[in-house]
Formats: sequence, structure tokens, C-alpha cells
Amino acid sequence: MTTEASPPTAQAGPRALAWQRRRRAAARFWRQYHTHRAGLVGLAALALFALVALTAPLTVGSDVAGVTDAPGRPMESPSAEFPLGTDRFGRNLLGLLVWGSRVSLLVGLLAAVLSVVIGALVGITAGHYRGTYATVIMRVTDWFLVMPALVLAIALATVLPRSLGTVILAIGVTSWPTTARLVRAQTLAVESRPYIERAKALGAGHVHIMTRHVLPNVMPLVLAQTTLMVSASILTEATLAFLGLGDPTVVSWGGMLQDAREAGAVSSGDWWYLVPPGIAIAGVALTFTLCGRAVEAVLNPRLGVAR
Amino acid sequence: MSSQDHHGRGRTGPRIPRPRTLRLVAAGVGALALTAALATPLSPAPQQAAADDGKKVLTVAVAQSIDSLSPFLASRLVSTSILRLTYEFLNNYDAKDAHAVPGLATEWKPSADKLTWTYKIRSDATWSDGKKVTAEDAAWTFNKMMTDPNAATANGSFVGNFRKVTAPSPTELVIELDKPQATMTALDVPIVPKHVWEKVGDFSKFNNDKDFPVVGNGPYILTDYEPDSFVRLEANKEFWRGAPKFDELVFKYYKDGDAAVAALQKGEVSFVSNLTPAQADSLEGQENIEVNDAPGRRFLALAVNPGARAKDGERFGDGHESLLDQRVRQALFLAVDRETLIDKVYQGHAVEGEGYIPPRFSTYYWKPSADQKLAHDPAEAARLLDAAGYKKNGDGKRVGKDGKPITYRVLCHATEPNDKAIGQYLKEWWGDLGIGMDLQCLDNVSDPWLAGTYDLAFDGWSVNPDPDFVLSIHTCAALPATREDTGATDNFICDEKYDDLYDRQLAEYDPAKRAGLVKQAVSRLYDTGYMNVVAYPNAMEAYRTDQIASITTMPEDAGNIFGQDGYWSWWSAVPADSGGSSDGGGSAGVITGVAVGVVLLAGVGGFLAMRRRATAEDRE
Repeated sequence: MTTEASPPTAQAGPRALAWQRRRRAAARFWRQYHTHRAGLVGLAALALFALVALTAPLTVGSDVAGVTDAPGRPMESPSAEFPLGTDRFGRNLLGLLVWGSRVSLLVGLLAAVLSVVIGALVGITAGHYRGTYATVIMRVTDWFLVMPALVLAIALATVLPRSLGTVILAIGVTSWPTTARLVRAQTLAVESRPYIERAKALGAGHVHIMTRHVLPNVMPLVLAQTTLMVSASILTEATLAFLGLGDPTVVSWGGMLQDAREAGAVSSGDWWYLVPPGIAIAGVALTFTLCGRAVEAVLNPRLGVAR
Repeated sequence: MSSQDHHGRGRTGPRIPRPRTLRLVAAGVGALALTAALATPLSPAPQQAAADDGKKVLTVAVAQSIDSLSPFLASRLVSTSILRLTYEFLNNYDAKDAHAVPGLATEWKPSADKLTWTYKIRSDATWSDGKKVTAEDAAWTFNKMMTDPNAATANGSFVGNFRKVTAPSPTELVIELDKPQATMTALDVPIVPKHVWEKVGDFSKFNNDKDFPVVGNGPYILTDYEPDSFVRLEANKEFWRGAPKFDELVFKYYKDGDAAVAALQKGEVSFVSNLTPAQADSLEGQENIEVNDAPGRRFLALAVNPGARAKDGERFGDGHESLLDQRVRQALFLAVDRETLIDKVYQGHAVEGEGYIPPRFSTYYWKPSADQKLAHDPAEAARLLDAAGYKKNGDGKRVGKDGKPITYRVLCHATEPNDKAIGQYLKEWWGDLGIGMDLQCLDNVSDPWLAGTYDLAFDGWSVNPDPDFVLSIHTCAALPATREDTGATDNFICDEKYDDLYDRQLAEYDPAKRAGLVKQAVSRLYDTGYMNVVAYPNAMEAYRTDQIASITTMPEDAGNIFGQDGYWSWWSAVPADSGGSSDGGGSAGVITGVAVGVVLLAGVGGFLAMRRRATAEDRE
């Protein structure tokens, strides 16, 4: 997308042309992506996780999270009936692990999107308007950057009512500064190109330049950043839930770890209560990181030129 | 002075500082930190049973933060337990059957009309600064509570009836009453040294935690305190009942239950209380560890906000109006299956809750008759709600008088795992009734609690052998004076019938008749549906037998060690001869956690190496 569009090969409307160009870009992206072995592994694992999460209502059903009709005794060790044992309520831990993936993935994705949207907005406007506005807003960014994000998220999650929305918000509004800085740098680079000057000469306004010229050029960066941010968000979600700041009635991986700790699973050695959610969190975070790195390597203009 | 703990018992969550790190490593290792940090025990510290300088130190793991070390303010279990050890009361309770035994008073007798009580104060007690303990100290303490409302915060209910307290001689204390009071041999009021405390200005601000050692006369002297870190007490060698066998008693903070258990296994602490069933089961049978699982003196209840109000008649807070209807309150409790909760949440380590007073206090224990009992009956609950006019709408949700679906806010202590667990059951049971529930687990529930901005709340108190205090907190007299004040009230209950029974039991000197009146009061409380007792949890504690050779439980045959109605446990504890050897403390969880950590680290490391090779040309 950063390379110049090749001349049209056939007569077609501008819309069709744009689509043609996008298709070609996608194909080129994929060709480059699949040279990254780790990226492919990540993508496959990601598809698997997504499949598990999306089909959870069919495979385990929402009943698995119900405590009143839990099938087993509390804290059973793994058996044929319960491959990962049961939790403190007697619920099937394997089922909970599958069901919990939905919350962890949902929160991870939404929080990452929220964070990147804020970051991109701040970055592009700061890079475009410069001057006092940019100075002020970048100092705000710096302030958020030096604040320990986890502490800030904990503070937010404590004062707001306990719900999934709160957790998403807490992660989203504390993790955007890095994105903002990256996007601003890219915006400055893009805006110094001659064609922006041409556009201005032709009468393009601020909004036109930002949405039509800058945004498409920072999009690859934003996309890669989002993918990477997802893993960080999933980790933060798990941390918050583990610290007891999530909604206790919602099943998530971090919440399962918190439950396990509160039930005394650590000192009684019930590893099946602790290890699977931990591995699942690590697995998903790793998957997103692998994909993100591969996407970044393909799309990042700087890296792309070097290739 | 029963130890209030509706203000929670402190955070149980460890804070894992985890800075945002480099991307790839963060992904794997960060998540791993969650698993491994869980399983990794505290840094291995040296044995502490017998300290190097030959001092015998008894270390007790605690979690609940101290609200105050001033006996006029403290109401939490840990604080009041410590004050029990540092200040002698007039009477103590016998460890065996909790009858009144001499404390600071050696003898006591009422006048014929029972309105004047004369206590003989012992002459062999001294304060730790060398001054003699006299009746004047006791008189000053009571007078202070009677004249300064700020000094009546914690124990004001005991002196509400006092007309005059005097000390005619250093060994004689005379208390005159307005009307008879049954608790005269159960005055759970720490007596403080007049010569120290008369210098205190504002009793509502003074927390008694600046000048150490704190002048006291109990079996231990408070010598040091660091909030949420430790409380150190030294044995009072001059104690009139005999010096304790340990030289030092340290309450050490472990905000995480598993960390405390690991510390016990390592021998870093000698005693841990408040175990979960899983922890108790795993400690059971381990070498050098004795698990004490005995009927407790606590209850766990679901308290209903009856419309918060002050004594001046002002109503405040925003409790749901439907809860003013007794049928609704009873319906909510009818939907609660206590047997399941005992079986699943407590795994049998509790007794099903019925009346307000735990069965351990057999004199006052009351249980509802078969037709009075609000036994688990969801159908009846639904019928009651229908009758009260809260019918289901098209979506199967019951709607309030304002036409909106009913959703109750239930306050729970974020630090109490059982609150959360029971909350999840309630959510489903009430959901079946068509009532929504919003479980609000907070670290500090005091603010919404005192402001009355809740609908229901998890509530728990430790009950004394004399039930007067826990009964007094539900009387109209305990309401706050205005909405700005903090009253002694638990959850703003004010019921005429109950108040009448309460007053009569307090004025009744005949033990059998008084017990009958207490039972009637408890029965009335049960019927109102304001305080629904869910369970009487067992005291689940464990101690190291290689550090503590023997310790007194209360009651002696099957009772608790922590939070007793006296200082018997820590005063009587006998150190074991040898320092004892550690059993390593490596539980399966630790090993597994570490193993998984190593495997994951290796995986991430291997991947990193591969990745570096693969992207070598990408890097600058």
C-alpha cells in the first residue's frame, strides 16, 4: 500500500480500480506473510483459539459456568469425566477453560482496539496540527507513558463498578501512549512528503489530508500495533481479574486463577486448577505476538524497504 | 466488643508488580508470571521459632488490617484480640465454659436492688511503667466513655445504663445503674491507665500507635507496630496471672492465604487461621502441623438494608423500596439453599445458619421451629413475591412498583472468597425467581455501608459468650444520631418489638429468664428477615507442633484459638523444646509451578533464538 499504485490495465471506474488495487495489495501481503514461518504458526494457533471461543456455546454451553447445577464435587482431581478436574464449585474445569476463552479474547480484542483507536487519533492529530496543540497533547501522552499502566488500570477498575466494560475501559485508556507516539512519528514522516504539499495546494483541508492521505499510510502500523496490543491487553485483563478486580460472576482465565488462589489451590497442590488457565493465557498472548510481529515485518514501511 | 468484621479482613491479593515489558518476552513470560508467581512461595527465610538470641518468639499470621489500637475505637477482630492481650478487663471468661472469672476485679457483688455493683480491684496488678493499677483507672475509663461520645464508639453499649462510676478506694469500684443490666460480669471494656490516657485530647483521632511500648497490664505489652506489616508484643513478666511462656508474640501480615500457609510449612510462622477447606485438607497429616477444625463463634449473614435512617428521623441511602416488605425479604431467603452452601462452599466445615447466635453458645442458641423456619422453598418464595405484588413481566423478570425490573446490589468483601462464592449461588437462585443481582465486591465496603447505598450485604460478627453486644447493634438506640455520624448500628435495623425484648433481657438478672428473652429477641429478628444467617463457619486454624507444644482452645474440648473471648490461647501457649526442623515445605503446587515455568521459559527462549535467526536480516 505504500508503494505507488500501478497504472490501470483496463478501462474501469475509480471504484473498481481501487478494489483491484486492494486485492493486489492483499495478495502481495499474503505472499510476504507466508514467508514468515512463526507468523503462520501464530495464525494457525489463533484460528484454533478463535474456533474454540466461537464454538464454545455449542461444545460446552453456557451451563458450564452455572454453580447451582455443577456436576462434580468441589476440587476434584482430573478424571475421565473431568479431564482437568473440577473447581471449587464442582464445575468442569475443561469446560470453564473453553468458556473463559470467550471473555479473555473479547476483552483483549476490544481493549486493544480501544487503545489503538485512541492512540491513532491522538498520534495523527498531534502529527498533523503541530504547534501548541501537539505540544500539549504530547505532554499528556508523555505523562500517561511514564505512569505505570497497571497501577493506573487498577485504580480505574477500583473506582468504577465491576464489569467487563470497566476492565476494557481501564486497559484501553491506559495503554494508548505508545501507539500515539508511533503514529505521530509516522504521520510526521508522511506529511513531509511532496504529495501532501500538492494536495494542500489543490485546496485539501485538514480532515481530507488526515483521513485520505495520512490514515491509509499509518494504517499498516496501526494494524500491527493492534495485533501486538491484543496480547498485552489479554495479559492485563488476566492480571486485573487475578487481582480480584474483574466481575466475580464472569468466567475468565484470570478469574479462574484468582478463584484457584482464593480456594487455596496453591498450597494444596491442585495444579490442574492453576496451570491450564496460565498456559492458555501465555498461549493466546504468544499467538497474537507471533502474528503481530509477522504483520509488522511485512507492513512496516521501514522494514519493508529493507527487504 | 465482638469483633466486627463487616469491614472486611484486609486484602488477600498479593500485588504482582509487572511492568510492561518487551513484546515477545512479555507474551510468554508475563503469563508465566501469573502461573509461577502463584506457586512460588515466599523467599525462603530462616527458621524463626527460636530466635538467635534465645528468645522464644511466637509468630502468628494475620490478614485483617488494624482499624485502630485505641480500645475506644477498635472493633475489628485482630485489633480487639491484640487489645485483649494488652489491657486487662474487669472480668474474663473461663476457657472451659465461659463463665465469668476474675480479671482485674477479684470479687463483685450487686446491691439488693441490683442497681449498685461493687467490684474489688486486685492490688497485685501493675502497669508496665511500674505504676499500680487502681480502681481509679477503671472509674476514669468508664467515666470517659460516659461523658465523651468519641470514647464510646467501640464499647458505648456497655455504659448506656450507667448513672455514676466512682472509686472510693484504690481497690474498690462502684458502678450505679439507671436500670438493671445483665452484662455486669461481662463488661468487655479494656481498662486503660488514667495517668497516660488523661493526656489524650481528641479520642476520635487518637489511635494509640505512636508511643511504644504502650503502657498496659495484660499478659503481653505492645512494643511495636507497622501497619499491614507486623505487630510486636513482649511478654509481661509482671503479669499477675503468671508470665506467658513465650518471650515475644508477633502478628505478621500475610495478605495472601496461600502465602501464610507456605510460611507455616516453612516454619516462618507458628500459627495460621482462616484456612480454606482445601488448605486444611492438605495440611492435615503433614508432619509437625496440627490442624484445629472446631465450631466457631462467628456467623455469616445476609443483611438487608431496611432503609437507612438516623435517630433524628432523617432517612438516607437508596435501598430498594421492595425490601421494606417483609414478604420480599423472606422470599429472598427462602430461595437460598443453605445445605448446598455448607456442602459446596464450606465443604462441610460449617453449620447451617438458623438463628442469630451460633449453636456453640448453647444457653442462648435458638433455632426456628419447623413452621417458623424459612427452609429452602423456591416455589413458596415465588408465591410470596407474587403476593407482594412483584410479578414477572414478559421477559420473566420481576418488576418493582416503578415498573423497572428488580436488580439488587449485594455488597460483598472482595477479600472474602466465601462471600464471592455464595454470591454466585445467590445470583443463580434469585435469577430463577426473576430477580437480578449485582454482586459488588469491594475492598472497603464501609463507605456504601454507612451511606446506606446498598440493598443487601454480606455481614459477619463474632459472638461473645454474653450476646448483649451483638444484640445491641440492631436496636434503634444504635442508629447514628444524624446522617453524618457513625452509629454502633450494624445495618440500620430499628424494630419496636425487638427493642422491647432487648431491653427486657438486658434488665433480667435471672439467667434462665434472660436466656428465654434473648431467644425471643433472636426469634423476632429471624422473622423480620433483616438478618438472614446463612452459616456458622468453623474456625479452621493450624499451628506447628515443633514450635508450640501446647495451646488452649476455647472452649477447651473443641474451640478456636484465634480470636478467643479471652487471652487464653496466647497466654497459655507453651514453646516446644527444640526449634524443630523444617519439612522443606515444597508442596506439589510449587514444584508443578516451577516445572511449568521452566518448560515455558525454555519454549520461549528456543522460539526467540529461532526467531532471531529468521529475522536476522530484518533487524537493523
